[in-house]
Amino acid sequence: MKRLFSIVLCVSIMLGLGSAIASASPLELTMYFPVNVGGTAAATIERFTGDFNAQNTDVRVTPVYTGNYDDTITKIQTAIQGGNPPDLFVSLATQRFTMASTKMAMPLDDLIALDPEGAEFIDDFIDGFMLDSYVEGAVYSIPFQRSTMVMYYNKDAFKEVGLDPEAPPQNWVELVDYAEKLTNENRWGVGLALNSGSAQWAFTGFSLQNCTNEVGLMSADGKKVYFDTPENIEALQLWLDLQNKYKVMAPGIVQWTDLPTQFLAGQVAMIYHTTGNLTNIRNNANFEFGVSFLPAGRQYGAPTGGGNFYITSGISEERQRAAWEYIKFMCSTELAAQWSIETGYVATRESAYETDLLKQYYTDFPPALVAYQQLPYAQPELTTYSAAEMWRILNDNIQAAVTGEMTAAEALKNAQEQGDELLFDFQ
Amino acid sequence: MEIIKKHAITSFSIFIALLWLTPLVWLITTALTKATFNMSFLPTTAFTLENIEYVWSTIPFGQYYLNTITLVIITFAIQFVTSTLAGFALAMYKFKGQALVIVIIFMQIIIPNDVLIIPNFMTLSELGLIDTKLGIMLPFLGSAMAVFLLRQSFKTVPRALAEVANIDGANLWQTIWRVYVPCAKAAYMSFAVISVSYHWNNYLWPLIVTNSITNRTLTVGLAYFAKSKEADMQWANVCAATLIIISPLLLAFFVLQKQFMNSFVSAGIKE
Repeated sequence: MKRLFSIVLCVSIMLGLGSAIASASPLELTMYFPVNVGGTAAATIERFTGDFNAQNTDVRVTPVYTGNYDDTITKIQTAIQGGNPPDLFVSLATQRFTMASTKMAMPLDDLIALDPEGAEFIDDFIDGFMLDSYVEGAVYSIPFQRSTMVMYYNKDAFKEVGLDPEAPPQNWVELVDYAEKLTNENRWGVGLALNSGSAQWAFTGFSLQNCTNEVGLMSADGKKVYFDTPENIEALQLWLDLQNKYKVMAPGIVQWTDLPTQFLAGQVAMIYHTTGNLTNIRNNANFEFGVSFLPAGRQYGAPTGGGNFYITSGISEERQRAAWEYIKFMCSTELAAQWSIETGYVATRESAYETDLLKQYYTDFPPALVAYQQLPYAQPELTTYSAAEMWRILNDNIQAAVTGEMTAAEALKNAQEQGDELLFDFQ
Repeated sequence: MEIIKKHAITSFSIFIALLWLTPLVWLITTALTKATFNMSFLPTTAFTLENIEYVWSTIPFGQYYLNTITLVIITFAIQFVTSTLAGFALAMYKFKGQALVIVIIFMQIIIPNDVLIIPNFMTLSELGLIDTKLGIMLPFLGSAMAVFLLRQSFKTVPRALAEVANIDGANLWQTIWRVYVPCAKAAYMSFAVISVSYHWNNYLWPLIVTNSITNRTLTVGLAYFAKSKEADMQWANVCAATLIIISPLLLAFFVLQKQFMNSFVSAGIKE
């Protein structure tokens, strides 16, 4: 009898221990993330996530690298349809309308409201980045790996042709003027990448610089596009003129990834490119270079781009809360600053700019600050429902104008018609 | 006249060979020299192994190698068995609905694999095979292409050979293994090239089915570098990663090129 009792006791202790262990086993979350700036960014995300897991023993987030942005979308769609969705993921900010209309991602307002620090957290994001987190007034995504466009210029080339190296072009007139001076038989004055996937980004900037409607290419609700306004036609005409009339920009279509290479080789004196390229240019330029605002048309303007955090819809409340904590951790002031320095992305939180880390970085390397100073003039890149298709429409038509198949006005009228048709269902 | 023709053919082949060699030379020289922003065909910077080292240490290529090799070998081994048996049955036997079976199998050849990603994923999800090596391989364990190649090849083997084997007391297995398989060596060789290179290079499917490093393949490792387009292309790293991935296949090609060539030639010549 005694023996039986001790066996029962042993078993019950073991069972008790077992269940204690089971309840202490952490909640497993999966996060999909794309990498667009080389191998080390993935390592940084994994390191940050490791820190999060170390601090939160009850949650364990596994980051899963999922290729580039397009691959990531394919993987998320497949996983959701296959009933094996990630709990959260990073995708382009421009995907938010699609994410909302296909119910792939969930609105985050309830999570923000439940969190005592929620409102404060959201308020601290830079407006230019937070702008493209909303769908129909609800927050659907949180800014994470964000970039904007700046101008890089070759100070040595400026000196060579008698321009002031500390005074980059302020507006389109100066842009054309300087570019004409800088162009010679070995060098183009100015460079823009016009391949699909880049043309629409650069064009957002030019549209914002020239527009009189304050929104550039599209309405904030993503249901209307304004491609064929006289101001936008004028902006596209400027591109064509740079190539054909003034002959200060390489004819045809230069690839996004080739442009910095040409700049570093001294073949182009001024380029429009992402802030994400700053470290690369800093490390490789064998001449003095400067970073400046994009030259203004009627006003300053620049596009923002990049990826945000989303939480998958349909996961349990417990998981939602854990995912939210993770996002808050990854976007915390300190990590936002750290992430910016390590990857070249722009820090998304106002408070990040108050950290010693970023202050020191800007003191050591003032050109990095230009992107931040330009942010008040920056707005989201072309973002509508059916974003991928809309990008294709604008890119194709711009390229048709660049290759001389259509005039600027014809191309943008064409884009407008196709865009209206695409958005017809969402009105 | 004959001499001119011969020279023309030789110089044309040399031209084609050089054309084929060009990207390879650029790839290898770029991977093995110091990174530079000056793009040129021949290297202008010093020899270095830094690119390879950097790429190798950033991404767990060792693990990816092991995974890819395991996948490629097991997939081909199973395809070998399933396709031999299916090809043999379709070539040698008459049975009800044979035409239908052949049509269904061959229709699969014209369906691109990418279209099947979602349905395949859903099936694997129900089987609980997401993020496993078996999951990556399962959709490919039978191959319509191999069945087709082997069926055609088996049909050309004279029946007399099989009959002689039967008279000598060989059973069905022995007939297949000792008579038909050796006769179809060329077809096996051709299919091995197709299967191995396809699974070695496959990217999207392994990326979608797997989540953990222990199951991912070499191509996913390459994507970290080759698909990073936000800034500029770091060609030295892209080339270094590519070199790491293609070397085994390249080496295999150089060693086995005679056999490959023969197999394609003889597979083509047979009626």
